[in-house]
Amino acid sequence: MSSELRDLYQEVIIDHGRKPRNFGKPEGANRNAEGINPLCGDQITLYLKLSGDVIEDIGFQGNGCAISKASASLMTAALKKKTKAEAEALFERVHSMISEGPRSKVDPQELGKLAVLSGVWEFPSRVKCATLAWHTLRSALDGAGAPVSTE
Amino acid sequence: MISSVTFEKTTWNKLPYKFEAGTPDIAGAIGLGAAIDYVSGLGLEAIAAHEHDLLAYATKALQDVPGLRLVGTAKEKASVLSFLFGDVHPHDIGTILDRQGIAIRTGHHCAQPLMRRLGIAATARASLAFYNRRQDIDALVEGLHEVQEVFG
Repeated sequence: MSSELRDLYQEVIIDHGRKPRNFGKPEGANRNAEGINPLCGDQITLYLKLSGDVIEDIGFQGNGCAISKASASLMTAALKKKTKAEAEALFERVHSMISEGPRSKVDPQELGKLAVLSGVWEFPSRVKCATLAWHTLRSALDGAGAPVSTE
Repeated sequence: MISSVTFEKTTWNKLPYKFEAGTPDIAGAIGLGAAIDYVSGLGLEAIAAHEHDLLAYATKALQDVPGLRLVGTAKEKASVLSFLFGDVHPHDIGTILDRQGIAIRTGHHCAQPLMRRLGIAATARASLAFYNRRQDIDALVEGLHEVQEVFG
């Protein structure tokens, strides 16, 4: 197996893709947004339970490849009890890491478990899979809940 | 195109010239001619026979892969094989095969209503043509073993 493939499909990705955390609609969710990747058919609905500025609970439903599900799963795990501002800041860092790779100023090691998404950079056709959940998060935080499309 | 233009008035040319402004796609027309010559040289019947042989070979080879399910097994069909492989999402299959130099298409293939009817989100699809050989199918099967390895 090539080392790029190994970097892409790390154990954490396979595990979260197969057994996504926070899968489902959390009790008392008061925000949601839908994200779709029209070319490949990936679809995610993200639910937030916002209390003031804090994400009390977060969950998602949908269908997609291992990368998109793992990214959504890892994202929900990272954002519980975080403030909106912290979530926005994390979006920026993760987005930069995935889309800019080594040119990014973000050191993946500072992102904890989310660092496993850094391998996606080597696969331009898969970047959208990894960022879908994050763009959907932004829409849900905005409160507009406008459907997000990666095209 | 126009037939004449003044500051006061523009008169369009008659059809079809009105809609054919600029240089026509000359290279495209020459390319199409070359493609037709090429395909005629091979012979449509020879191409059909070759593709039929590949399809039969590939159908058997893929059916023998544990966990693989062919989607679309009509008796009379083109040399296209849509399939699902265990619980691995087709996009992941595509990426892993791609790294081995095997190009397939993945996703809903612009056939979302059909996918919904079949109760699936996407398939992986290998399309065979006259330039493929049996070795390519062997490579595909080999590549699927690598997919199995990654997703074990």
